Amino acid sequence: MHHIANASLTDKVMSSGDSNPAATPTPCVDIQGDGRWMSLHNHFVSNSKDKEPDVLFVGDSLVQLLHQFEVWRELFSPLHALNFGVGGDETQHVLWRLSNGELAHISPKVVVLWVGTHNHSHTAEQICGGIMAIVQLIKDKLPKAYTLVLGVLPRGKMPNPLRERNAQVNKLVKDAVSSLPHASLLNVDPGFVHSDGSISHQDLYDFLHLTPQGYQAVCQPLHAHLKGLLEKQAEN
Amino acid sequence: MLFRDFGGNSGLIKTPWLWWMSGDEINPAAVAQAVEDVQGDDRWMSQHTRFVQECKDAEPEVLFIGDSMVQLMQQYEIWRELFSPLHALNFGIGGDTTCNVLWRLQNGELDNIRPKVTVVWVGTNNHEHSAEQVAGGILAIAQLLTSRLPKTKVVVLGLLARGDGPNPLREKNAAVNGFLRSWLPRLGQAQFLDVGAGFVHSDGTISTRDMFDFLHLTAAGYRAIAKPLSDLLLQILDETPEEKRASLV
Repeated sequence: MHHIANASLTDKVMSSGDSNPAATPTPCVDIQGDGRWMSLHNHFVSNSKDKEPDVLFVGDSLVQLLHQFEVWRELFSPLHALNFGVGGDETQHVLWRLSNGELAHISPKVVVLWVGTHNHSHTAEQICGGIMAIVQLIKDKLPKAYTLVLGVLPRGKMPNPLRERNAQVNKLVKDAVSSLPHASLLNVDPGFVHSDGSISHQDLYDFLHLTPQGYQAVCQPLHAHLKGLLEKQAEN
Repeated sequence: MLFRDFGGNSGLIKTPWLWWMSGDEINPAAVAQAVEDVQGDDRWMSQHTRFVQECKDAEPEVLFIGDSMVQLMQQYEIWRELFSPLHALNFGIGGDTTCNVLWRLQNGELDNIRPKVTVVWVGTNNHEHSAEQVAGGILAIAQLLTSRLPKTKVVVLGLLARGDGPNPLREKNAAVNGFLRSWLPRLGQAQFLDVGAGFVHSDGTISTRDMFDFLHLTAAGYRAIAKPLSDLLLQILDETPEEKRASLV
Protein backbone atom coordinates (compact mmCIF):
# COMPACT_ATOMS: atom_id res chain seq x y z
CA MET A 1 0.00 0.00 0.00
CA HIS A 2 2.77 2.45 0.83
CA HIS A 3 5.19 3.38 -1.93
CA ILE A 4 8.84 2.44 -1.38
CA ALA A 5 9.85 6.05 -2.00
CA ASN A 6 7.81 7.13 1.00
CA ALA A 7 9.19 4.42 3.29
CA SER A 8 11.48 6.68 5.29
CA LEU A 9 8.74 9.25 5.83
CA THR A 10 6.32 6.50 6.80
CA ASP A 11 8.84 5.05 9.24
CA LYS A 12 9.31 8.47 10.79
CA VAL A 13 5.68 9.34 11.22
CA MET A 14 4.19 5.94 11.89
CA SER A 15 6.37 4.92 14.79
CA SER A 16 5.31 1.77 16.56
CA GLY A 17 2.91 2.21 19.44
CA ASP A 18 5.57 1.48 22.03
CA SER A 19 7.93 4.25 21.02
CA ASN A 20 5.31 6.92 20.36
CA PRO A 21 3.11 7.74 23.35
CA ALA A 22 0.83 9.81 21.11
CA ALA A 23 0.10 6.64 19.13
CA THR A 24 -0.39 4.30 22.09
CA PRO A 25 -4.07 3.81 23.03
CA THR A 26 -4.39 5.32 26.51
CA PRO A 27 -7.54 5.99 28.52
CA CYS A 28 -7.81 9.15 30.60
CA VAL A 29 -7.15 8.62 34.29
CA ASP A 30 -9.82 10.13 36.56
CA ILE A 31 -7.87 12.48 38.78
CA GLN A 32 -10.68 14.89 39.53
CA GLY A 33 -13.00 12.32 41.09
CA ASP A 34 -16.20 12.29 39.03
CA GLY A 35 -15.25 9.81 36.32
CA ARG A 36 -16.56 12.02 33.55
CA TRP A 37 -14.24 10.85 30.80
CA MET A 38 -15.23 7.22 31.16
CA SER A 39 -18.90 8.21 31.54
CA LEU A 40 -18.75 10.04 28.24
CA HIS A 41 -17.02 7.13 26.53
CA ASN A 42 -19.67 4.70 27.82
CA HIS A 43 -22.38 7.12 26.76
CA PHE A 44 -20.98 7.21 23.23
CA VAL A 45 -20.75 3.43 23.03
CA SER A 46 -24.31 2.83 24.18
CA ASN A 47 -25.63 5.82 22.25
CA SER A 48 -24.28 4.36 19.02
CA LYS A 49 -26.21 1.12 19.36
CA ASP A 50 -29.40 2.36 17.77
CA LYS A 51 -28.00 5.01 15.47
CA GLU A 52 -26.97 4.70 11.84
CA PRO A 53 -24.84 7.75 11.19
CA ASP A 54 -23.44 8.51 7.78
CA VAL A 55 -20.85 10.79 9.33
CA LEU A 56 -18.97 10.45 12.61
CA PHE A 57 -17.14 13.43 14.11
CA VAL A 58 -14.48 12.38 16.60
CA GLY A 59 -11.85 14.35 18.49
CA ASP A 60 -11.36 16.88 21.24
CA SER A 61 -13.17 19.97 22.58
CA LEU A 62 -13.28 21.58 19.16
CA VAL A 63 -15.48 18.67 18.03
CA GLN A 64 -17.43 18.50 21.29
CA LEU A 65 -18.32 22.18 21.41
CA LEU A 66 -19.45 22.13 17.77
CA HIS A 67 -22.30 19.91 18.87
CA GLN A 68 -23.63 22.59 21.23
CA PHE A 69 -24.20 25.36 18.72
CA GLU A 70 -26.89 26.00 16.12
CA VAL A 71 -24.42 25.29 13.29
CA TRP A 72 -24.55 21.56 14.14
CA ARG A 73 -28.28 21.39 13.68
CA GLU A 74 -28.12 23.51 10.51
CA LEU A 75 -25.30 21.77 8.70
CA PHE A 76 -24.50 18.37 10.19
CA SER A 77 -27.69 16.89 11.63
CA PRO A 78 -29.12 16.76 8.09
CA LEU A 79 -26.10 14.65 7.11
CA HIS A 80 -26.97 12.14 9.88
CA ALA A 81 -23.89 12.92 11.90
CA LEU A 82 -22.86 11.71 15.36
CA ASN A 83 -20.51 13.63 17.62
CA PHE A 84 -17.93 11.80 19.77
CA GLY A 85 -15.86 14.77 20.85
CA VAL A 86 -14.32 14.90 24.34
CA GLY A 87 -12.75 18.06 25.70
CA GLY A 88 -9.04 17.80 26.42
CA ASP A 89 -8.55 14.59 24.46
CA GLU A 90 -5.16 13.95 22.90
CA THR A 91 -4.52 11.55 20.02
CA GLN A 92 -3.82 8.58 22.32
CA HIS A 93 -7.17 9.10 24.10
CA VAL A 94 -9.14 9.15 20.87
CA LEU A 95 -7.22 6.05 19.78
CA TRP A 96 -8.25 4.25 22.97
CA ARG A 97 -11.91 5.26 22.65
CA LEU A 98 -12.15 4.09 19.05
CA SER A 99 -10.40 0.83 19.96
CA ASN A 100 -12.78 0.18 22.84
CA GLY A 101 -16.28 0.25 21.47
CA GLU A 102 -17.02 3.60 19.88
CA LEU A 103 -16.84 2.09 16.39
CA ALA A 104 -18.37 -1.26 17.28
CA HIS A 105 -21.99 -0.60 16.36
CA ILE A 106 -21.83 1.91 13.53
CA SER A 107 -20.70 2.08 9.90
CA PRO A 108 -20.37 5.74 8.97
CA LYS A 109 -19.33 6.53 5.43
CA VAL A 110 -17.08 9.37 6.54
CA VAL A 111 -15.19 9.89 9.78
CA VAL A 112 -14.18 13.49 10.50
CA LEU A 113 -11.14 13.49 12.79
CA TRP A 114 -10.08 16.65 14.62
CA VAL A 115 -7.46 16.18 17.33
CA GLY A 116 -3.88 17.04 18.20
CA THR A 117 -3.92 20.53 19.69
CA HIS A 118 -3.96 19.23 23.29
CA ASN A 119 -0.93 16.89 22.87
CA HIS A 120 1.26 19.17 24.98
CA SER A 121 4.02 16.77 25.85
CA HIS A 122 4.53 15.48 22.31
CA THR A 123 6.48 16.68 19.31
CA ALA A 124 4.84 17.48 15.97
CA GLU A 125 6.20 14.17 14.62
CA GLN A 126 4.69 12.21 17.49
CA ILE A 127 1.35 13.97 17.14
CA CYS A 128 1.32 13.17 13.42
CA GLY A 129 2.10 9.56 14.31
CA GLY A 130 -0.86 9.58 16.69
CA ILE A 131 -3.19 10.96 14.05
CA MET A 132 -1.98 8.42 11.48
CA ALA A 133 -2.49 5.61 14.00
CA ILE A 134 -6.11 6.70 14.31
CA VAL A 135 -6.45 6.82 10.50
CA GLN A 136 -5.10 3.25 10.32
CA LEU A 137 -7.40 2.04 13.10
CA ILE A 138 -10.44 3.47 11.33
CA LYS A 139 -9.35 1.72 8.13
CA ASP A 140 -9.04 -1.58 10.01
CA LYS A 141 -12.43 -1.32 11.72
CA LEU A 142 -14.38 0.40 8.93
CA PRO A 143 -12.80 -0.72 5.65
CA LYS A 144 -15.25 1.26 3.52
CA ALA A 145 -15.09 4.54 5.44
CA TYR A 146 -13.27 7.67 4.32
CA THR A 147 -11.35 9.59 6.97
CA LEU A 148 -11.26 13.37 6.69
CA VAL A 149 -8.59 14.78 8.99
CA LEU A 150 -9.11 18.44 9.84
CA GLY A 151 -6.01 20.58 10.21
CA VAL A 152 -5.33 21.77 13.75
CA LEU A 153 -6.05 25.47 14.06
CA PRO A 154 -3.65 28.21 15.13
CA ARG A 155 -4.02 29.27 18.77
CA GLY A 156 -2.94 31.98 21.17
CA LYS A 157 -3.49 35.69 20.72
CA MET A 158 -0.08 36.33 19.11
CA PRO A 159 2.54 34.13 17.36
CA ASN A 160 3.87 31.41 19.68
CA PRO A 161 5.53 27.97 19.57
CA LEU A 162 2.19 26.12 19.62
CA ARG A 163 1.16 27.74 16.35
CA GLU A 164 4.39 26.51 14.78
CA ARG A 165 3.89 23.05 16.22
CA ASN A 166 0.31 22.83 14.93
CA ALA A 167 1.35 24.03 11.47
CA GLN A 168 4.09 21.40 11.42
CA VAL A 169 1.60 18.70 12.43
CA ASN A 170 -0.64 19.69 9.54
CA LYS A 171 2.26 19.58 7.07
CA LEU A 172 3.40 16.14 8.25
CA VAL A 173 -0.12 14.70 8.19
CA LYS A 174 -0.79 16.11 4.75
CA ASP A 175 2.34 14.36 3.46
CA ALA A 176 1.49 11.12 5.24
CA VAL A 177 -2.06 10.88 3.84
CA SER A 178 -1.10 11.95 0.33
CA SER A 179 -0.58 8.34 -0.74
CA LEU A 180 -3.75 7.02 0.89
CA PRO A 181 -6.95 6.64 -1.11
CA HIS A 182 -9.13 6.48 2.01
CA ALA A 183 -7.99 9.64 3.82
CA SER A 184 -7.10 13.27 3.30
CA LEU A 185 -6.32 16.41 5.27
CA LEU A 186 -8.60 19.43 4.99
CA ASN A 187 -7.32 22.83 6.09
CA VAL A 188 -10.31 24.49 7.78
CA ASP A 189 -8.56 27.68 8.88
CA PRO A 190 -10.41 30.44 7.02
CA GLY A 191 -7.68 32.94 7.90
CA PHE A 192 -8.04 33.46 11.64
CA VAL A 193 -4.58 35.01 11.93
CA HIS A 194 -4.66 38.67 10.95
CA SER A 195 -1.85 40.53 9.21
CA ASP A 196 -0.43 41.68 12.55
CA GLY A 197 -0.23 38.07 13.72
CA SER A 198 -3.13 38.37 16.13
CA ILE A 199 -6.18 36.17 16.52
CA SER A 200 -9.46 37.77 17.51
CA HIS A 201 -11.54 36.69 20.50
CA GLN A 202 -14.56 37.10 18.21
CA ASP A 203 -13.36 33.97 16.38
CA LEU A 204 -11.61 32.08 19.18
CA TYR A 205 -13.12 33.32 22.43
CA ASP A 206 -10.18 32.16 24.57
CA PHE A 207 -7.71 32.06 21.68
CA LEU A 208 -8.24 28.29 21.37
CA HIS A 209 -11.95 27.47 21.22
CA LEU A 210 -14.28 28.67 18.48
CA THR A 211 -17.15 31.08 18.93
CA PRO A 212 -20.36 30.36 16.98
CA GLN A 213 -19.07 32.89 14.42
CA GLY A 214 -15.75 31.06 14.23
CA TYR A 215 -17.57 27.76 13.73
CA GLN A 216 -19.62 29.21 10.87
CA ALA A 217 -16.42 30.25 9.08
CA VAL A 218 -14.92 26.78 9.57
CA CYS A 219 -18.02 24.72 8.93
CA GLN A 220 -19.42 26.20 5.73
CA PRO A 221 -16.52 24.92 3.60
CA LEU A 222 -16.31 21.74 5.68
CA HIS A 223 -19.97 21.04 5.05
CA ALA A 224 -19.57 21.55 1.31
CA HIS A 225 -16.55 19.24 1.26
CA LEU A 226 -18.38 16.60 3.28
CA LYS A 227 -21.36 16.62 0.96
CA GLY A 228 -18.98 16.08 -1.94
CA LEU A 229 -17.36 13.14 -0.16
CA LEU A 230 -20.71 11.56 0.70
CA GLU A 231 -21.85 11.83 -2.88
CA LYS A 232 -18.65 10.16 -4.08
CA GLN A 233 -19.07 7.40 -1.48
CA ALA A 234 -22.61 6.84 -2.71
CA GLU A 235 -21.36 6.40 -6.27
CA ASN A 236 -18.78 3.76 -5.28
CA MET B 1 -1.54 39.86 54.20
CA LEU B 2 -3.01 42.02 51.44
CA PHE B 3 -6.52 41.37 52.50
CA ARG B 4 -6.25 42.67 55.99
CA ASP B 5 -5.70 46.11 54.53
CA PHE B 6 -8.85 45.98 52.55
CA GLY B 7 -10.87 46.92 55.60
CA GLY B 8 -13.96 48.28 53.74
CA ASN B 9 -16.69 46.56 55.73
CA SER B 10 -16.66 47.37 59.43
CA GLY B 11 -16.69 44.38 61.67
CA LEU B 12 -15.16 42.15 59.04
CA ILE B 13 -11.52 43.12 59.36
CA LYS B 14 -10.91 40.06 61.42
CA THR B 15 -12.56 37.24 59.53
CA PRO B 16 -11.31 33.94 60.80
CA TRP B 17 -13.62 31.91 58.66
CA LEU B 18 -12.15 33.45 55.51
CA TRP B 19 -8.49 33.49 56.04
CA TRP B 20 -7.48 31.38 58.92
CA MET B 21 -8.63 27.86 59.14
CA SER B 22 -8.18 25.92 62.35
CA GLY B 23 -4.59 26.11 63.51
CA ASP B 24 -3.98 29.64 62.22
CA GLU B 25 -3.15 28.46 58.72
CA ILE B 26 -3.97 30.73 55.83
CA ASN B 27 -6.66 29.46 53.50
CA PRO B 28 -4.89 28.53 50.24
CA ALA B 29 -8.14 29.03 48.30
CA ALA B 30 -8.08 32.68 49.36
CA VAL B 31 -4.57 33.39 48.14
CA ALA B 32 -4.44 35.33 44.86
CA GLN B 33 -2.56 33.45 42.17
CA ALA B 34 -2.09 33.97 38.44
CA VAL B 35 -2.16 30.98 36.08
CA GLU B 36 1.29 30.04 34.84
CA ASP B 37 1.70 29.56 31.09
CA VAL B 38 2.75 25.93 30.87
CA GLN B 39 1.26 25.21 27.45
CA GLY B 40 3.23 27.93 25.65
CA ASP B 41 0.63 30.26 24.11
CA ASP B 42 0.00 32.52 27.10
CA ARG B 43 -3.76 32.43 26.66
CA TRP B 44 -4.70 33.08 30.28
CA MET B 45 -2.77 36.32 30.42
CA SER B 46 -4.09 37.36 26.99
CA GLN B 47 -7.65 36.91 28.26
CA HIS B 48 -6.91 38.85 31.46
CA THR B 49 -5.32 41.68 29.47
CA ARG B 50 -8.35 41.86 27.21
CA PHE B 51 -10.65 42.16 30.25
CA VAL B 52 -8.54 44.94 31.75
CA GLN B 53 -8.81 46.78 28.44
CA GLU B 54 -12.58 46.27 28.41
CA CYS B 55 -12.76 48.00 31.78
CA LYS B 56 -11.35 51.11 30.17
CA ASP B 57 -14.00 51.25 27.46
CA ALA B 58 -17.13 49.85 29.02
CA GLU B 59 -19.64 51.00 31.60
CA PRO B 60 -21.24 47.76 32.72
CA GLU B 61 -24.17 47.62 35.08
CA VAL B 62 -23.54 43.94 35.68
CA LEU B 63 -20.22 42.11 35.90
CA PHE B 64 -19.97 38.31 35.64
CA ILE B 65 -16.73 36.83 36.97
CA GLY B 66 -15.64 33.22 37.32
CA ASP B 67 -14.62 30.09 35.46
CA SER B 68 -15.81 28.29 32.32
CA MET B 69 -19.38 28.19 33.63
CA VAL B 70 -19.36 31.98 33.25
CA GLN B 71 -17.24 32.08 30.10
CA LEU B 72 -19.25 29.60 28.07
CA MET B 73 -22.54 31.35 28.81
CA GLN B 74 -21.50 34.22 26.58
CA GLN B 75 -21.21 31.89 23.57
CA TYR B 76 -24.87 30.91 23.69
CA GLU B 77 -27.88 32.87 22.43
CA ILE B 78 -29.19 33.24 26.00
CA TRP B 79 -26.46 35.79 26.77
CA ARG B 80 -27.59 38.09 24.00
CA GLU B 81 -31.24 37.62 24.97
CA LEU B 82 -31.08 38.12 28.72
CA PHE B 83 -27.76 39.63 29.79
CA SER B 84 -26.47 41.89 27.03
CA PRO B 85 -29.55 44.11 27.49
CA LEU B 86 -28.50 44.55 31.13
CA HIS B 87 -25.13 45.92 29.95
CA ALA B 88 -23.27 42.95 31.32
CA LEU B 89 -19.56 42.18 30.99
CA ASN B 90 -18.30 38.62 31.05
CA PHE B 91 -14.92 38.00 32.70
CA GLY B 92 -15.04 34.22 32.84
CA ILE B 93 -11.92 32.13 32.15
CA GLY B 94 -12.10 28.36 31.76
CA GLY B 95 -10.25 26.41 34.43
CA ASP B 96 -10.07 29.27 36.91
CA THR B 97 -10.03 28.62 40.65
CA THR B 98 -10.93 31.11 43.39
CA CYS B 99 -7.21 31.99 43.57
CA ASN B 100 -7.09 32.93 39.91
CA VAL B 101 -10.24 35.07 40.10
CA LEU B 102 -8.85 36.86 43.15
CA TRP B 103 -5.64 37.65 41.29
CA ARG B 104 -7.52 39.02 38.29
CA LEU B 105 -9.74 41.22 40.43
CA GLN B 106 -6.70 42.59 42.24
CA ASN B 107 -4.82 43.24 39.01
CA GLY B 108 -7.02 45.48 36.94
CA GLU B 109 -10.31 43.77 36.23
CA LEU B 110 -12.16 46.13 38.57
CA ASP B 111 -10.46 49.32 37.48
CA ASN B 112 -12.66 52.12 36.14
CA ILE B 113 -15.93 50.23 36.32
CA ARG B 114 -18.81 50.54 38.73
CA PRO B 115 -21.23 47.70 38.11
CA LYS B 116 -24.35 47.70 40.24
CA VAL B 117 -24.30 43.93 40.51
CA THR B 118 -21.47 41.42 40.34
CA VAL B 119 -22.24 37.77 39.70
CA VAL B 120 -19.62 35.36 41.03
CA TRP B 121 -19.52 31.75 39.83
CA VAL B 122 -16.33 29.84 40.67
CA GLY B 123 -15.14 26.98 42.85
CA THR B 124 -15.77 23.78 40.91
CA ASN B 125 -12.15 23.74 39.67
CA ASN B 126 -10.56 24.08 43.13
CA HIS B 127 -9.44 20.47 43.16
CA GLU B 128 -6.66 20.90 45.73
CA HIS B 129 -8.89 22.49 48.34
CA SER B 130 -11.48 21.26 50.83
CA ALA B 131 -15.10 22.40 50.62
CA GLU B 132 -14.55 24.74 53.56
CA GLN B 133 -11.49 26.26 51.92
CA VAL B 134 -13.31 26.73 48.62
CA ALA B 135 -16.21 28.48 50.35
CA GLY B 136 -13.67 30.68 52.16
CA GLY B 137 -12.09 31.56 48.82
CA ILE B 138 -15.47 32.54 47.38
CA LEU B 139 -16.19 34.66 50.45
CA ALA B 140 -12.83 36.34 49.97
CA ILE B 141 -13.87 37.27 46.44
CA ALA B 142 -17.21 38.63 47.68
CA GLN B 143 -15.46 40.65 50.35
CA LEU B 144 -12.94 42.04 47.86
CA LEU B 145 -15.79 43.12 45.60
CA THR B 146 -17.73 44.89 48.33
CA SER B 147 -14.64 46.68 49.57
CA ARG B 148 -13.52 47.81 46.08
CA LEU B 149 -17.04 48.61 44.88
CA PRO B 150 -18.92 49.73 47.98
CA LYS B 151 -22.22 50.17 46.16
CA THR B 152 -22.21 46.86 44.33
CA LYS B 153 -24.47 43.98 45.22
CA VAL B 154 -22.83 40.57 44.96
CA VAL B 155 -24.71 37.50 43.80
CA VAL B 156 -22.86 34.23 44.39
CA LEU B 157 -24.14 31.31 42.35
CA GLY B 158 -24.10 27.90 43.96
CA LEU B 159 -21.84 25.23 42.49
CA LEU B 160 -23.67 22.75 40.31
CA ALA B 161 -23.62 19.01 40.68
CA ARG B 162 -21.30 17.25 38.24
CA GLY B 163 -20.55 13.77 36.94
CA ASP B 164 -22.86 11.15 35.47
CA GLY B 165 -23.85 9.61 38.82
CA PRO B 166 -23.24 10.29 42.53
CA ASN B 167 -19.57 10.97 43.26
CA PRO B 168 -17.35 12.77 45.81
CA LEU B 169 -17.27 16.03 43.79
CA ARG B 170 -21.04 16.34 44.02
CA GLU B 171 -20.82 16.01 47.77
CA LYS B 172 -18.00 18.53 47.89
CA ASN B 173 -19.84 21.10 45.77
CA ALA B 174 -22.97 20.66 47.90
CA ALA B 175 -20.86 21.21 51.02
CA VAL B 176 -19.41 24.40 49.54
CA ASN B 177 -22.95 25.61 48.91
CA GLY B 178 -23.88 24.77 52.49
CA PHE B 179 -21.05 26.93 53.84
CA LEU B 180 -21.96 29.76 51.46
CA ARG B 181 -25.59 29.70 52.58
CA SER B 182 -24.53 30.27 56.21
CA TRP B 183 -21.65 32.65 55.64
CA LEU B 184 -22.79 34.97 52.84
CA PRO B 185 -25.58 36.68 54.80
CA ARG B 186 -22.87 38.09 57.10
CA LEU B 187 -21.75 40.23 54.18
CA GLY B 188 -24.67 42.60 53.94
CA GLN B 189 -24.40 43.22 50.24
CA ALA B 190 -23.94 39.61 49.16
CA GLN B 191 -26.46 36.88 48.58
CA PHE B 192 -26.46 33.26 47.53
CA LEU B 193 -28.49 31.95 44.60
CA ASP B 194 -28.87 28.22 44.07
CA VAL B 195 -29.49 27.54 40.38
CA GLY B 196 -28.81 23.81 40.54
CA ALA B 197 -32.31 22.48 41.19
CA GLY B 198 -33.52 19.95 38.69
CA PHE B 199 -30.25 18.82 37.15
CA VAL B 200 -29.94 15.63 39.17
CA HIS B 201 -32.73 13.21 38.32
CA SER B 202 -34.41 10.87 40.79
CA ASP B 203 -32.06 8.06 39.75
CA GLY B 204 -29.05 10.21 40.60
CA THR B 205 -28.03 10.81 36.99
CA ILE B 206 -27.38 14.02 35.11
CA SER B 207 -28.41 14.17 31.46
CA THR B 208 -26.08 15.20 28.64
CA ARG B 209 -29.04 17.27 27.43
CA ASP B 210 -28.29 19.60 30.36
CA MET B 211 -24.52 19.13 30.78
CA PHE B 212 -22.86 17.90 27.59
CA ASP B 213 -19.87 16.47 29.45
CA PHE B 214 -21.51 16.12 32.87
CA LEU B 215 -19.95 19.45 33.89
CA HIS B 216 -20.52 22.16 31.29
CA LEU B 217 -24.00 23.36 30.42
CA THR B 218 -25.74 22.99 27.08
CA ALA B 219 -27.96 25.73 25.67
CA ALA B 220 -30.90 24.06 27.44
CA GLY B 221 -28.97 23.88 30.69
CA TYR B 222 -28.11 27.58 30.54
CA ARG B 223 -31.70 28.43 29.70
CA ALA B 224 -32.80 26.73 32.91
CA ILE B 225 -30.41 28.70 35.12
CA ALA B 226 -30.59 32.00 33.29
CA LYS B 227 -34.24 32.67 34.07
CA PRO B 228 -33.99 32.77 37.90
CA LEU B 229 -30.69 34.62 37.63
CA SER B 230 -31.98 37.28 35.26
CA ASP B 231 -35.10 37.71 37.38
CA LEU B 232 -32.93 38.38 40.42
CA LEU B 233 -30.67 40.77 38.50
CA LEU B 234 -33.64 42.74 37.22
CA GLN B 235 -35.01 42.94 40.75
CA ILE B 236 -31.70 44.23 42.11
CA LEU B 237 -31.23 46.69 39.27
CA ASP B 238 -34.75 48.01 39.85
CA GLU B 239 -34.08 48.51 43.53
CA THR B 240 -30.72 50.25 43.03
CA PRO B 241 -31.06 54.02 42.83
CA GLU B 242 -29.41 55.73 39.91
CA GLU B 243 -26.23 57.51 40.93
CA LYS B 244 -26.97 60.50 38.83
CA ARG B 245 -30.16 62.28 39.61
CA ALA B 246 -31.47 65.05 37.46
CA SER B 247 -31.20 68.15 39.55
CA LEU B 248 -34.52 69.73 40.17
CA VAL B 249 -34.42 73.38 39.41
